[in-house]
Amino acid sequence: MLKVSVISPERTLFDGDATQVVAPAYDGEVGILTGHAPMMALLGRGTLRVTEAGGERRFTVEGGFLQVVDDHVRVVTEKAATS
Amino acid sequence: MAKGRELKGRIKSVEGTRKITRTMEMVATSKLKRAQDRVVAARPYATSLAQVIADLYTPELAERFPLLRQPAATGPSGGRAAVLLLTSNRGLAGAFNSNLIREARSLIERLERSGAAVDVHVVGRKGIGYFRYTGRPLATQRTDIGDRPTAEHASELVQDVMRDFIARRLDAVYVVYAKFNSAISTPPVSEMVLPVTPPERKGPARDYILLPSAEAILSELLPLYVRNAVYRALVETVAGEQGARRTAMKNATDNAGDMLNILRRTYNRARQAQITQEIAEIVGGAEALKG
Repeated sequence: MLKVSVISPERTLFDGDATQVVAPAYDGEVGILTGHAPMMALLGRGTLRVTEAGGERRFTVEGGFLQVVDDHVRVVTEKAATS
Repeated sequence: MAKGRELKGRIKSVEGTRKITRTMEMVATSKLKRAQDRVVAARPYATSLAQVIADLYTPELAERFPLLRQPAATGPSGGRAAVLLLTSNRGLAGAFNSNLIREARSLIERLERSGAAVDVHVVGRKGIGYFRYTGRPLATQRTDIGDRPTAEHASELVQDVMRDFIARRLDAVYVVYAKFNSAISTPPVSEMVLPVTPPERKGPARDYILLPSAEAILSELLPLYVRNAVYRALVETVAGEQGARRTAMKNATDNAGDMLNILRRTYNRARQAQITQEIAEIVGGAEALKG
């Protein structure tokens, strides 16, 4: 299981478990599953998809970064909205 | 009963004032709650950003980023600094705004004594009013931020100073704001936001896969870090203002209550004295008639 949080300057939009995260990095999408190596990536603009046990959540994000450490995924973005 | 009527008028007036201050206290309490939530909600972003910058930052990289340029390079004296003072648009918050203005004034004096030219940028009617009164021209001023500052407001505030700093037209940028320790402790503080003081790394260094590179990520994130310092200052100042107003209005309400007690006591005493006197007069009159 991945622990995922989606954070904007104003608030935390999502904080919970997920099986898979697909994020729009600056040069294309990156997919993250459990056991991913530590990573930091700049984000571009696009749709962030978080696959939970019950389904999929989508967020529109723009700018910021993505950090993966020990199955913790942190998406810190400038502009975020649930979509 | 001239004295009685006069007292009655004052009682009415104090009661009216108390009604207003009590309402303002309740309004401030509810606004404080929301402002406090925003302070808390802004924390995860600030910690994540600080942690990532700390992870990526190495002193060797520092020289390549204009935002990290230390003022020592230009010498301790001379140069140009910008002070961004955050105040509220409305008063009736005790010494809240005058504390902030005093903090800003002493910072400006200190900078000017060291030989720097200081640009003053002010947010909030109260601060602007003060500097208009002293006749000091302001570099920028704005009053449209209000109770719900956003990240956009913060980036509008820092954009120009950041550009000037990179172009070496500015050597340091300070923010004067109210730190929100709790609803009753909101001390004014000055914080240097430029040059950026890199946050310290906690825990071991990790071997990250970096997309695209440490340098590229830092150059993207450092401006956000500066922006976020100002955003945090805005949010904390709004919360501080509501906290200060609640305290001030609570004191005012309590004082009005004390004053009412005294006035009512005086009024009752005057009323009783008059009744006693009337009775004495009637009795005296009756006695005289009995002859």
